[in-house]
Amino acid sequence: MKIYESAVKKPITTLMVFVAFFVVGLYSLSRLAIDYFPEIEFPAITVLTVYPGANSENIEQNITKPLEEQLNSLNNLKKLTSRSSDNISVITVEFVYGSNLDEAANDIRNILDRVTPLLPDGVDRPTILKFSTSQMPILFYAVTADKNYDGLGKILEEKVINQLNRIDGVASVFAIGTPQRAVYVEFDPNALNTYGITLDQIGNVLKAENLKLPIGSVKTNDLEYKISLESEFKSSEQIKNITIAFQGGKIIRLEDISVVRDTLKDRTTIERINSGKGIRMLVIKQSGSNTVEVADKVKKELERVKPTLPSDIQIETIFDTSKNITGAINNLSETILYALLFVTLVVMIFLGRWRPSFIVLTVIPISLVSGLIYLFISGNSLNIITLSAITIAIGMVVDDAIVVLENIIKHLERGSTRREAAIYGTNEVWVAVIATTVVIVAVFMPLTLLGGFSGALFKSFGWIVSITIVVSTITAISFTPMASSVLLKSKAFQTNGDKKSLWDKSFGATFDKLDQRYKKSLQFVLRHKISTMLVAFVFFVISVLLLSKVGADFLPQPDQSMLSAKIELQTGTKVEKTEETMKKIEVILHKLFKEDVVAHAINAGASDQASFISAFSANASNIMQVMVRFRDLDVRKRSVFDMADELRTVLDTMPEVIKYDISFSSAMGGMGSNTIDVKVFGYNLDQTSAYAQDLARKLKEIKGTKDINLNQESEKPELKIFLNREKLSQMGLNSAMVGATLRNYITGMTATKLKEEGKEYDVILRLNQDIRNDIGLFKNISFRTPTGGRVYLKDIADIQIIGSPPIIFHENKQRVVTISVKPQGRALASVAKDIEALVAKNTPPAGADVVVGGAYQEQQESFSDLILLMLVASILVYLTMAAQFESFVMPIIIMAALPFAFSGVFYALYLTGTSLSVNALLGMFMLIGIAVKNSIILVDFTNLLRDRGMALFDALVEAGRSRLRPILMTALTTILGMLPLAFSTGEGSEQWAPIGISVIGGLIFSTILSLIVVPVAYYLLIRAGSRRKRRLKLKSEFHFLDKVLPETKNS
Amino acid sequence: MKAVLIIHNKAVNEQILYILEKLEIKGFTKWDTVYGQGYKGEPRMGTHTWPEENSATLCVVDDSRVEALKNALAFLDNANEEVGIKAFIWEANYLF
Repeated sequence: MKIYESAVKKPITTLMVFVAFFVVGLYSLSRLAIDYFPEIEFPAITVLTVYPGANSENIEQNITKPLEEQLNSLNNLKKLTSRSSDNISVITVEFVYGSNLDEAANDIRNILDRVTPLLPDGVDRPTILKFSTSQMPILFYAVTADKNYDGLGKILEEKVINQLNRIDGVASVFAIGTPQRAVYVEFDPNALNTYGITLDQIGNVLKAENLKLPIGSVKTNDLEYKISLESEFKSSEQIKNITIAFQGGKIIRLEDISVVRDTLKDRTTIERINSGKGIRMLVIKQSGSNTVEVADKVKKELERVKPTLPSDIQIETIFDTSKNITGAINNLSETILYALLFVTLVVMIFLGRWRPSFIVLTVIPISLVSGLIYLFISGNSLNIITLSAITIAIGMVVDDAIVVLENIIKHLERGSTRREAAIYGTNEVWVAVIATTVVIVAVFMPLTLLGGFSGALFKSFGWIVSITIVVSTITAISFTPMASSVLLKSKAFQTNGDKKSLWDKSFGATFDKLDQRYKKSLQFVLRHKISTMLVAFVFFVISVLLLSKVGADFLPQPDQSMLSAKIELQTGTKVEKTEETMKKIEVILHKLFKEDVVAHAINAGASDQASFISAFSANASNIMQVMVRFRDLDVRKRSVFDMADELRTVLDTMPEVIKYDISFSSAMGGMGSNTIDVKVFGYNLDQTSAYAQDLARKLKEIKGTKDINLNQESEKPELKIFLNREKLSQMGLNSAMVGATLRNYITGMTATKLKEEGKEYDVILRLNQDIRNDIGLFKNISFRTPTGGRVYLKDIADIQIIGSPPIIFHENKQRVVTISVKPQGRALASVAKDIEALVAKNTPPAGADVVVGGAYQEQQESFSDLILLMLVASILVYLTMAAQFESFVMPIIIMAALPFAFSGVFYALYLTGTSLSVNALLGMFMLIGIAVKNSIILVDFTNLLRDRGMALFDALVEAGRSRLRPILMTALTTILGMLPLAFSTGEGSEQWAPIGISVIGGLIFSTILSLIVVPVAYYLLIRAGSRRKRRLKLKSEFHFLDKVLPETKNS
Repeated sequence: MKAVLIIHNKAVNEQILYILEKLEIKGFTKWDTVYGQGYKGEPRMGTHTWPEENSATLCVVDDSRVEALKNALAFLDNANEEVGIKAFIWEANYLF
């Protein structure tokens, strides 16, 4: 028994099956994670290593280089990049897509275990970090405090961070820039020397006096006592009174030779929040948990703990990804509702009756739910890609049901009973319905094979469309006949059969007129087939020419109501000096954007902590990172892009600002980047920097370039100490001893820890500030020699001020200087072309090598991937159709509509000023399926009519006339289904509007043209009577029988 | 007794059975799917070109019922010409 037969005969079973399916779908919906993008695990691992006090060259030579040498042997390695700056080495290991990152992380751990012992003393153990979109912070808070600022770290830790960390789904909560307490013991080295005491000695005394030691136990008659020594420091006051030495009957206390300060640790970074002192707090969710849900919980918990905080502590949101997500998702959901409404209207208008419309429309929720079930099973989230796939599917899923239903109605009108009409009507068309579905699936399935970045984005897209379309077909040949057999009425014997309904008089009459008009035009073009093709060809050529005017971009940038800017001052600028500019910028922000500014956070300086958070910080004392959150898009008049331009104009006038870079995405790095990178490789940084600077100047003259950024800064001055070895050896010293002592003097030596209320604070020994911050006094530092003598630094060393590069970048172990350029008002690809030409004209210095890459490169890769896939899809379509029509020519006729679908896209992009992005390409991709479907309907029916004996010309005209309505109807459902997508302006719409625009443009064109071009192409390529001839040829095998048969008209 | 062969579009299967039942024609033989072509109307071949199919019902009826059966079939046929019902009649004798 066929599926539709069983369905009709067991309506209750069928209904239950679909209800169950629907319930499973709703359950899936309730369990789906909601996110902005599909989870993309960027196949990279970062190794962070901290060496406090080291400069960039030091870091490069002693840490980055040895690590890189070893890491280079990793499996599946794609790219090795590094950044060696003051204090910290950041190595990023990028793997080929699809590599197992856990395995890779283990390999890296093994390598690090082997290499770490070889690194200099004082280097912290390297930290391994994995980056994935799921590990981006979901919430960023600005915390400000007034009188409680000093204790802010502790208060937050106790009252906020611990609470938030307990929330299910939260991976970690970081506070950046919290003031930390430390006890400084500061000396005058010359005073030390007078007493003949070394820093090491003091350190050892402090260590020895700060002790908690289990002694053992004693047993009395009945009891056993544990004995322990309690000699820990209770407070910093105690430290002051520690006896260091006993000289000449005199006790020397720490106080006598040093200043003990219980204070805040020196800051290498400055955090300013909303024009005041503050810190940033960020929340990272666990991978796979629902961003929106976790963010809601965090926000709720935060509201709960807020009253327990001192009144001067304010917590404000800087960004909240869940808000962007809910905004975008709500927006898309609205779009889905509009699409549903439009599709309903189209179905009602074309079918003109309530019940059939209702039956057709029930297919929509059933098929869409299958998309949700797929998402749930595959562990994907509800995001803008999967939701737009669902939106797009709405217009397409009704097509099959319409075809089936129309045939059922035809039989009902002939007087069949409902059940018979349903079974019999479906039987006639089910093979054809499945065939068109195969074509659509042939187009969308290749998308699921896409690799790389665009693959991660569009895999789920391909699956959802394929699955929903297949389910819609299954529904159309099971649920639809079942519902028809129950809901429709048999027409033939009704008494009011001749009475015309309102629909018949209005829309029905209009359609009849349209049919007639189209028939006449079709007859006209078929008589002028060559000129028709010429006109169409000209149309096509114009569109291709227009394409060169349409820009190409990788991914459109969304307006997420936030802006971040990296602003650089003169290299070497003290962080305190940078703070002054920070204050200026705060004033500017308020002056420029007034009430649009909700919150802002600015930080500067290089953190000496190796952690995830260093990725969100400025990393040099002269660089500041500005984050501004604006009001929501609907209450704001200016877009963040316009605001950024205003900010740029002001920054350009500030003499202290050397350069700046403005970006718009809350998720940092990779994803939203839209730059062209010119990379200059070469060991000699002086040469490559000079060349790059020259190139950067010339780049400014290229039209449409903006935010030209050189990652290699000008040199910053450094004090270099050159020791005189001869003198050293005479004194019984060596470089290591001098080096270690100086390091302890300047960076400080963490001698021990002060414990208070379960918290540990560093006790740091170092020179007093006056000497550390004065080069003259610094030179007069004296050392104790092993022989007991005393020697001044200036006597054994030559101290010079020499410039050195502040940051050294590597790519694949080679030193590199990168110039990044943002295109503005011009397409990425064409700017890149000009840049390549410029590079070709300027030969790099000897030993250097120049490569142009960046988002441009990724765009090229993605575009060529998608274009290749389009080709694959077209070939698949050709194959399926050649098989279906058992002909080589028919698929060509059918696909004649394709170029016009594409030219429709080009016109639409040109007219709306949209650039050709990956999303627009995706739209074109879909057109292959949708446009072909229209032509199939037309060609198939023409063939049918010819097989029934109609002459070619008449068959073409008649097929066109009778298929006009189904074609218009399916095209209109798809076009109107996407209309809300194309014209939505809300949050996130920048991302999907191009899909809508390209599909609508392409479909309008291809529908109109396929109604004209396809019949003409058919008429041109197929000779009249060819089908009859083929039949006659088959019959010729039986001509031997003619001898015994009488002559008739037929022979 | 007369043998009546009714060839009709599948779409009216149930109506034909209803007529037979009402006329108390209890014995009949039915071929669910038959293909063929008439002198007028469309061929019923069950193919992509001619997708429709016919059924055939053979029954042997009392002479007294023939007129009623003919009227009913004619009425059904007239209701919609596209359905197409043909009936043939011949003399039938009971063998055992």
